[in-house]
Amino acid sequence: MEVDRRAFIASLGGTAAVSIMDHEAKAEALEHWMEERLDEAVGQQGATPQKFPSAAELEAQIETRSYRRGVGNLFVNTRGGMMKKLPPMPKNATLKDFFELRFAPANHVLQSATRALKTGMSEEVVLACLLHDVVQSMIKVDHGWWGAQLFEPYIPEKSTFAIKYHQALRFYPDSDAGYEYPDQYLRIFGHDYVPPPHIESTYKMVRNHKWYMEPRLVTVNDLYAFDQNAKVSLDPFTDIIGRHFKQPKEGLGNDNSPSAHMWRTIANPDAPL
Amino acid sequence: MRRSRGVGLGAWGLGVLLATSPGLMQAKPANYKGLEITVANIERSSTVGLKDCPPGANSIRGLTKPGEEFAIVNLSFKVTPAFRDTLVKKPVLLDASGKTFQTAMSFIDPGSQPEYSCGFAYRVPEGTKLGKIQIDTTTIDLTPFDKR
Repeated sequence: MEVDRRAFIASLGGTAAVSIMDHEAKAEALEHWMEERLDEAVGQQGATPQKFPSAAELEAQIETRSYRRGVGNLFVNTRGGMMKKLPPMPKNATLKDFFELRFAPANHVLQSATRALKTGMSEEVVLACLLHDVVQSMIKVDHGWWGAQLFEPYIPEKSTFAIKYHQALRFYPDSDAGYEYPDQYLRIFGHDYVPPPHIESTYKMVRNHKWYMEPRLVTVNDLYAFDQNAKVSLDPFTDIIGRHFKQPKEGLGNDNSPSAHMWRTIANPDAPL
Repeated sequence: MRRSRGVGLGAWGLGVLLATSPGLMQAKPANYKGLEITVANIERSSTVGLKDCPPGANSIRGLTKPGEEFAIVNLSFKVTPAFRDTLVKKPVLLDASGKTFQTAMSFIDPGSQPEYSCGFAYRVPEGTKLGKIQIDTTTIDLTPFDKR
């Protein structure tokens, strides 16, 4: 397979991010990148319809793994191999510090927020897009609710609403709003997946809510944020973060907020207890 | 899975179709604030790559449900010096009866390249006959391109 060097480096967060990786990490990343490109190439061969797993087939895979799928990215190396020591966090850590030292490369959320910005969406929606998936560094399962809880003390209510409920809305296409059901979900949830009752009832509640479009727009931008060649940065969002994110002077994790413990968990995932 | 209904037949097919279709021969670019727009063809498919305009390399694909299909209107764009890079509204599709359909795709940096082509996909009931496509105040007739 021919490797697009620029695309590969971009997928890792750029040359700066690559420069701090050791040889083993680079080799591992390259192998994973090539696997993904191969999957995409196979998936996009129009003449060969893809076969997606059933929900039962995915459940049968549970006992073939040494980790659970809902675990956060910081806590498991899903590709095998050993963990890497994390860089220390500064004393009064900011959101930017967490982006650089714990959420990186964060390419998907940066792409999502960039698209929201370029299509003229509100700052609350842009902020929600920027933050909507970063809690997956701590936990993936129910990430909408966990993410909303993590950010609730610091961001506008509309942004919290958008982060919380994008998780439920993503299973329900809405062409009028520009959201199509992605093939990716057939792959990761199964072709016969039926959302559980609490997701269905949440969807119905949000569908009739006056803020429906906030989480809906997060799902819309979510779909278009898987471009391996996209060049993105946190810089365009500095002003929006400054206007809407209430940065505690003590640093995230040290401010005794209702979610301070979650920030500490992300900062120190190697703490044994 | 993707079925061409217009001139999506390669260079040879394009030449043949241009030479034999009065509708296409008369097609002139529409102009929206300095953006010249030409219809290339219309395709139908049960799945579509979700790419904005100009297209990048997004890897996600959208799917239809039984009884639906994507009508994909392929448009070519030429950015003229008169174009001022602003937000360009999403194109809206009207079927033959005037019913409107929205697309998931958006214009992102429409002035970033001198020329490009984009496929705007609309989830419609199978067999829907297309009428027009509108970008804000500019309307383009699709009937010469929809051969069903």
